[in-house]
Amino acid sequence: MTVILAAAGWSGAALGAVSSLVLAVLGLRAQRRPESVDRGHLKAAVQCVVGGAVLSMAALEVALLTDDFGITYVAENHSRATNVLYSITGAWSALEGSIVLWALILAGYTAVVLRQVRTTDDRLGTGALAVMGVVGVFFFGLVATVANPFGLEAVPPTDGAGGNPLLQDHVMVAFHPPMLYLGYVGFTVPFAFAMSALLLRQGGVDWLRRTRRANLVAWTSLTAGLVLGAWWSYEVLGWGGYWAWDPVENAALIPWLVATAFIHSAVVQIKRGMLQAWNFVLVLATFSLTILGTFLTRSSVVVSVHSFSQSPIGPALLGFFVLVLVVGFTLFALRGERIASMSRPESLVSREGAFLVNNLLLSLFAFVVLLGTVYPILVEAIVGSQVSVGRPFFDRMAVPLSFALLLAMGAGPFMPYRRATGALLWNRLRIPLLAGSTAAAAVVVAGVRSVGVVAVVLLAVTIAAAAVRQFVVTLPSATPRAALHLLRGQRAYWGGQLAHLGVAVVALAIAVSGGLATRASENLDLGGSLEFDGYSVTFDKTEEHREADRLITDAHLVFRTGDRVDYVATPRLTAFDNQPQAIGAPSVWNRPSGDIYVALSNLEPDSVAVNVYEYPLMSWLWAGGVLMAAGGLWALGGRRRRPAETTSTVSGPVGADGHA
Amino acid sequence: MRELFQRAGVLGAIVALLGVVVAGLVFGSGQPPDRAYELEQRLRCPVCKSVSIAESMSDTAVAMRATVSEQVDAGRSDQEIVAYFTARYGDWILLDPPAGGDTLLLWLIPLGVAAVAGVVVLTRRRPADEQGQLDDADRQRVTEAVAGMRATAEEEDRL
Repeated sequence: MTVILAAAGWSGAALGAVSSLVLAVLGLRAQRRPESVDRGHLKAAVQCVVGGAVLSMAALEVALLTDDFGITYVAENHSRATNVLYSITGAWSALEGSIVLWALILAGYTAVVLRQVRTTDDRLGTGALAVMGVVGVFFFGLVATVANPFGLEAVPPTDGAGGNPLLQDHVMVAFHPPMLYLGYVGFTVPFAFAMSALLLRQGGVDWLRRTRRANLVAWTSLTAGLVLGAWWSYEVLGWGGYWAWDPVENAALIPWLVATAFIHSAVVQIKRGMLQAWNFVLVLATFSLTILGTFLTRSSVVVSVHSFSQSPIGPALLGFFVLVLVVGFTLFALRGERIASMSRPESLVSREGAFLVNNLLLSLFAFVVLLGTVYPILVEAIVGSQVSVGRPFFDRMAVPLSFALLLAMGAGPFMPYRRATGALLWNRLRIPLLAGSTAAAAVVVAGVRSVGVVAVVLLAVTIAAAAVRQFVVTLPSATPRAALHLLRGQRAYWGGQLAHLGVAVVALAIAVSGGLATRASENLDLGGSLEFDGYSVTFDKTEEHREADRLITDAHLVFRTGDRVDYVATPRLTAFDNQPQAIGAPSVWNRPSGDIYVALSNLEPDSVAVNVYEYPLMSWLWAGGVLMAAGGLWALGGRRRRPAETTSTVSGPVGADGHA
Repeated sequence: MRELFQRAGVLGAIVALLGVVVAGLVFGSGQPPDRAYELEQRLRCPVCKSVSIAESMSDTAVAMRATVSEQVDAGRSDQEIVAYFTARYGDWILLDPPAGGDTLLLWLIPLGVAAVAGVVVLTRRRPADEQGQLDDADRQRVTEAVAGMRATAEEEDRL
């Protein structure tokens, strides 16, 4: 059985690699001479790619679920005690398996691209399939060689080592990584079409239109993946936060920032024919940054330069990153100038001007985060000394950039194309500004003295009010039907506004939960208590729960007002049988006004060291994330417009419509 | 006329409200900062992955937090406390990289890139006279048509 599974899994990867190569060759040939290739052949190649990926993943899952410790990956990352859920998620909880997931998702996207390519006369499409094939060769090749999870153990152990305990403690491991990968891998599609357009010397908006759905799917998934990751980290890790500017987190944020810039600048090209060259750069950057991000997080280079050579996957990813950059930018340098117009906005105070500013800010943001992430690696590699770049640096860079982005977001969507006048802007923004300044004055009167919090309240409320005002003013009649008609008619614009609303809510939650947090840190003996936020908190008892592969010890901390028990917090410490270090998990009490977050820093049978935080409006962060993803989905929904249709709809009633 | 008063009223209200905000922030008294906590957030936990000692549960971080509190209580300045830790662990302990030494470039590069980007955007605007090869009659017709469109558009914009 072991040998059959390993052979099946490896053959799947090999089949994927070979058929990806065939797809690349056929696709390129079809792009040169459409009549020389039959679409049926392309289809067969894609089917083999998908089949190989599915076979590989299925073999891995079966091996995990049947405790087949003859296979190295299973022996190293699984144990008999692992339950069904974590057995399934085990397929992507370690490096090799996660590359299999990557290849599977890539195969899925390739199949989607094939559906768009109806005949081989579609030279842009066949070229894109070829590029997808080239990327497929690399990832399937990784699975078949250096990242092969199907190696065999000479002497199969009776039980495996078990996986990383942090990845077996929360159901989020089933959602966050696949979501993130759906985003990461999705950006292969716009990259493939952009490369194909360059190869074909065909500028224009065709490649943008055809990748719009893939872009939005990828962006929405990456957004959702980031928010889920933040939530997971907040619920599980117990250091009291959701974002640590850890390299692993940054690696996901950097492509997200560039991709966000790209979905904005794509609008400018489709609507106004500008920023064509810039869009090629952004797509190339997004794709290569997903590879670089995977390299940074998967090669352990971040922890130390010296462990660099331990995993051969690292150099492979780095090599592929360099290859993508060199080939991509060479092609762009040779062809880009000729096919991309260089026209620029006539005024910065216009919709396209605001888009341009937004693009610069997002790119700068991405650059700064990237610099901060790789700087310690570069310094250690070049100078040899060790330095740290942490939260204070990133915060100091991110805060002004975020404020500037909020400003652009407050004005940009309400400016007309070409040129906006001060009178027009004032006309559209005075009521929102009134709402924003009222809210800001209210929080100041209520006693808030943090400049950052007040400024974010002002901006966020103004942005939200401006979006609502725009909607009300554009609405032809105040009936639900008219509202739905408007929202459906301009999905891109209103989806964007919904996402902006989400960003405003997220900004508010970040500022308020950080700026107005309170915290207490105390050692309590059994029966001892502390006062926090109007509650008396008593350390009542500890309890032990034995599970198959772990011992969970939780402390009961009772929150009382007077004699009434309001909440019993049970932060816990989990000791895995196969791990020396126990891991803590906090207890989070979600209240409408804010979370009470209780984390242990030490646990003895009769005493605890406990950190208690109050984070106001914390749950708004997740709500804002949901709004952002919902905005992406809204823009995605509905039928695709035909090109003829888009040219006829010049603009909405206030020139406020998004892109087709 | 009434509309004019309304608009002036809105402007006045905004200015007044922002005045309240600024006055509140400038003259209001905030809580005194928690110096020990602020320092803890700037020091890296030596045994963890990229978190500060304020956020870590490790024994080392607990001990370092105790040291910070002791030194704050003893009245030592922030610089003295930070220097105490860098003397023991090197610059590596600082999550907030100093603008000097090995990390000087880290601060200069973003500033430089931002400055270049700003200059490019502000100076490379499309020249106003980029109008192509038109004879005077055509240009006249285009100008009139644009003016007409713009008038209509501005009507619509006044929503």
